[in-house]
Amino acid sequence: MIDPVTSRYANALFSLAMGRGVLDAVSADVERLAREVGAPGVGDFYFDARVSIDARRLKIASVTQSMHELTKNFVNLLFDKRREEVLRNLSAAFHQRALDERGAAEGIVESARALGAGEIASLATAFGAELGKRVTLENKVTDDVLGGVRVIVGSQMIDRSLRGRLDGLKKKLGTAALPSLSEQ
Amino acid sequence: MDLRPAEVTSILEKEIASYQGGRDMQSVGTVLTVGDGVARVWGLDDCMMNELLEFGGGVRGIALNLEEDNVGCVLLGDSAKVKEGDQVKTTGRIISVPTGPALLGRVVNALGDPIDGRGPLAVTEADYLPIDQPAPSVVERQGVDTPMQTGIKSIDAMIPIGRGQRELIIGDRQTGKTALLIDSIISQKTTGGGDPNNPDQVLCIYVAMGQKQSTVVDLVQRLTAVGAMEYTIVVSASAIDEASMQYLAAYAGCSMGERFRDEGRDVLIVYDDLYKQALAYRQVMLLLRRPPGREAFPGDVFNLHSRLLERAARLADNAPEINPRYKKGGGSLTALPVVETQENDVSAYIPTNVISITDGQIFLESSLFNAGIRPAVNAGISVSRVGGAAQTKGMKKIAGGMRLDLAQYRELQAFAQFGSDLDKATQRTLARGERLTEILKQDQYVPMPFQDQIMIIYAGTCGALDDVATKSIREFEKIFLQHMADSHPEIGEGIRTSGVLSDEAKVTIDQAIAAVKPQVTG
Repeated sequence: MIDPVTSRYANALFSLAMGRGVLDAVSADVERLAREVGAPGVGDFYFDARVSIDARRLKIASVTQSMHELTKNFVNLLFDKRREEVLRNLSAAFHQRALDERGAAEGIVESARALGAGEIASLATAFGAELGKRVTLENKVTDDVLGGVRVIVGSQMIDRSLRGRLDGLKKKLGTAALPSLSEQ
Repeated sequence: MDLRPAEVTSILEKEIASYQGGRDMQSVGTVLTVGDGVARVWGLDDCMMNELLEFGGGVRGIALNLEEDNVGCVLLGDSAKVKEGDQVKTTGRIISVPTGPALLGRVVNALGDPIDGRGPLAVTEADYLPIDQPAPSVVERQGVDTPMQTGIKSIDAMIPIGRGQRELIIGDRQTGKTALLIDSIISQKTTGGGDPNNPDQVLCIYVAMGQKQSTVVDLVQRLTAVGAMEYTIVVSASAIDEASMQYLAAYAGCSMGERFRDEGRDVLIVYDDLYKQALAYRQVMLLLRRPPGREAFPGDVFNLHSRLLERAARLADNAPEINPRYKKGGGSLTALPVVETQENDVSAYIPTNVISITDGQIFLESSLFNAGIRPAVNAGISVSRVGGAAQTKGMKKIAGGMRLDLAQYRELQAFAQFGSDLDKATQRTLARGERLTEILKQDQYVPMPFQDQIMIIYAGTCGALDDVATKSIREFEKIFLQHMADSHPEIGEGIRTSGVLSDEAKVTIDQAIAAVKPQVTG
């Protein structure tokens, strides 16, 4: 889940980096930042309201000093605007934007048994045709689906699992009119 | 009743066949927060406004706020069954309710699910209609010209209601608002003998919003006892139901009525009451964080009521040619919304809103109610803006005189205590007014056919009762109407068929009055 503020900051950084042809460097920086703020025990420091903003700024500056000029400016801007929270999901938002740029999407396919690479690829092609995107799928094995597959990309889902069909059937039976009653 | 196994299997087969045939790309989301009957959902990119959503555990919801990164929705069931992180699916269906003759005689909730313990409704998928539908346009309507008889003397005579009209019933608590509505519904039995299949029968819908459940039970029992339930649907979203259900019930009931209206039938729908509906709407909207306006109601609270009441209409005879949605022209939907006031304050926010939307209002006053004038209609400030055109000629002529007499009576009422010190003309006016006021009194649950109304009001306005003691007027009414029914049934029948009171009939009535007077005590 990426909040709209994070996506806006990430989008701004992405298009600027792409415009200047430094996308690779900035992407690497973003990954490094994500590792830094996500590190156990260390990361929370940057978002700790009990620590003064200057102390946090100083600490992040030591991380960003070897980074690209754009990233440095970006982080400084975040702290100026008191939006340091953006750093939490920056990497995900940046990645999402990169996928959108390429017309690609990532998703998961849930199945009761592990799927072969060929099966996943054909599912991805079929789903991609529906969405008009190049889809990459990751297989997730779960007993809950019972059989068949459930593909979820973003907020779109195709449920061809046995569980989904049974649920649908249960619901339809619950609301179907009984012929014996309508004859009354 | 036993289920026949073959039927269940056939449904299964049908459902399985159609399930596999359908396109099954769904929009999904995740519950972010849930509480107080509302939920915020992340995702649901393709969600429509007012779309029915499915949560886990069989709970349904409606999308009401479409925001940049989330969807605000109200839950239509137990919110305890919904947890953070649950998956939510769109259904591709705008919220709809079952409609049609299968609902007549039933008690349903705001979603059209039966709650009277009499089994499922015999409806098909085609019977489901969205609860929010556009009101008929200008060309699809025609003027109000047929009376909707309420069977209440003071209303039919002075504040006539026409089919397709919207007439507000307004008053404090305990002034007889609901009683008046029940009487109106019972009175519709005279239109078609209470047989819902008779095309002349006016069908009735009672929408209870935020009412006590005991009130609804009372009402259903009362309607059943007098045989009025056969042509009535009760939509109940009582005080125990979710606020979302309470505010949606009005639209659900309206859609059920529109179905009949569009098939050329006449329908009477009662919204009891719109003030509580506005409170429920306010609660839901504040929880969804829509900005509050006056009295913390959301900005669109006027539209909430106007879009509902605009759907009441009399359809043009050629409506089906203009819009294929209408199966048959000439149908009507008459709305009687109720608004409860506090301390007789009709200038509060919601009452003024609804007064300005409707075609008139019937004002019930607690002081009149306590003085024993029941129904406690304040004839002075109650109006019907379009009903006059729908009143029968005979009633119009007679009631015109009564209106004048009563207006003069009210002017002079303050002097009544001076008694014999007054001049003869004033005393006469006061005496006439007192007797007319007495004539307009009526017991609960006994609506009066309009020919009887015309006869007794004629007796009052022609001055023949000025020498009958005020306290004996109601006794006179009873004996007189019985006498007319026994000895001169042709007079009542004549008025009923022609709608006018002929001069010959007047002579017969004058004779009957003279014959009945000595039988009255005092």
